[in-house]
Amino acid sequence: MSRDRAAVDQRRRILEATADLVAEQGFQATTIEMIVRRAKVGYATFYKSFDDKEAAFLALLDEAVEVLTGRVKEAYDREREWPDKVAAGLGALFEVIAAFPNVARACLAEASTAGPEAAQRQEAAMKQFAPLLKPGRELNPRRDQLPDTLEDTLMGGVMWVVNQRLIGGETEKLRALLPETLEFVLRPYVGEEKAAAEAGALSAG
Amino acid sequence: MATEELGPLPAGRHGFSREQVAHNQRERLIAGLATAVAEHGYNAVTITHITKAAHVSRRVFYANFDGKEECFLAAFEVVADHVRELGIEAAAGESDWPHQAIAVARAVLEFFASEPDLARLCLVESTSAGPAVAARYRAAVDAAEPFLAKGREERSASDRKLPDSTEETILGALASLASRKVAAGEAERLPDLLPDFAEFILAPYLGADEAASLSREAA
Repeated sequence: MSRDRAAVDQRRRILEATADLVAEQGFQATTIEMIVRRAKVGYATFYKSFDDKEAAFLALLDEAVEVLTGRVKEAYDREREWPDKVAAGLGALFEVIAAFPNVARACLAEASTAGPEAAQRQEAAMKQFAPLLKPGRELNPRRDQLPDTLEDTLMGGVMWVVNQRLIGGETEKLRALLPETLEFVLRPYVGEEKAAAEAGALSAG
Repeated sequence: MATEELGPLPAGRHGFSREQVAHNQRERLIAGLATAVAEHGYNAVTITHITKAAHVSRRVFYANFDGKEECFLAAFEVVADHVRELGIEAAAGESDWPHQAIAVARAVLEFFASEPDLARLCLVESTSAGPAVAARYRAAVDAAEPFLAKGREERSASDRKLPDSTEETILGALASLASRKVAAGEAERLPDLLPDFAEFILAPYLGADEAASLSREAA
């Protein structure tokens, strides 16, 4: 293995160890000693890349957010109709979370415990989803009366139920939750009947 | 509930029993924690900050609590109980579920608006204070699920069943909406959110039109 490859590999192991530890016991209880031990790297290697555990966590968070938002937008862009776009985007969100439960738990459920910078970056990441929902307003005849806070509030509800499953270690329940969550997100824009139909199509497909 | 202007507890012949003094000291520490957390944030707050704000000694602190997390949980419990009482009282003043739901939302928003330090403690700091506190916060929000689920009776029998996670998702959405407002330093303006809250709570149960008209009425 070349030197560069080894360095990339070590960095990856540090971030994975950080995700596992923060998911298991929270950010505050996680120490650099635990991280280097789990990642099987030396302290010097850790400090070559990161000033402290917050820096390691922020690097993890940035990478995770990039993957998550990238996959969601990709899936969203592939569809034509807005309800299908939301279904695909939400599906991708749940899929990434289920595939990397520890990273998801660390970055979604625990980020707010890792200091103001982490909390702020996570909040900013969640804000990226609001513009994906906004076009749905066009489908609502009462669009002028929809509250400005609607999109952020809906995402707050989605992340709440996701975090509950992550914290409870019930990642396997996410799949069953997806159609219900889609219905919840679509309802304010297209009404219950259409939202339920989209959700039904999702659980059938 | 006032967290400010705590004078020193008079020493000596104040006529209180030891239990009364102990109880009083515990309450002071809880109020002191709210003040100290509002100033420093939970993660930076120290036992010294708390005991100074409470005007009691460290010895008294450790006689009551193992550490700041336990003190925080006790404070959270006091506020959660109080909010629950306010909610029950507010609901009792209305005869139908939609108006009860609006009254409860109003009571909770107005309480937190009148106590911005406690709003920050319960709605913002509790999500950043570590796993045990976060779990308690989530449980407190979830505790409103049965009340919200009564809204299902408003739907006609021929309607399809709402998804099981409806109440959980609504409450999570509202908790995040309120906590963003408080985090932005606008706790005093929480009651502005009442129409949004009302519409969000009622729409799944009553339909969008009726929910909109009731929420306009609530504004």
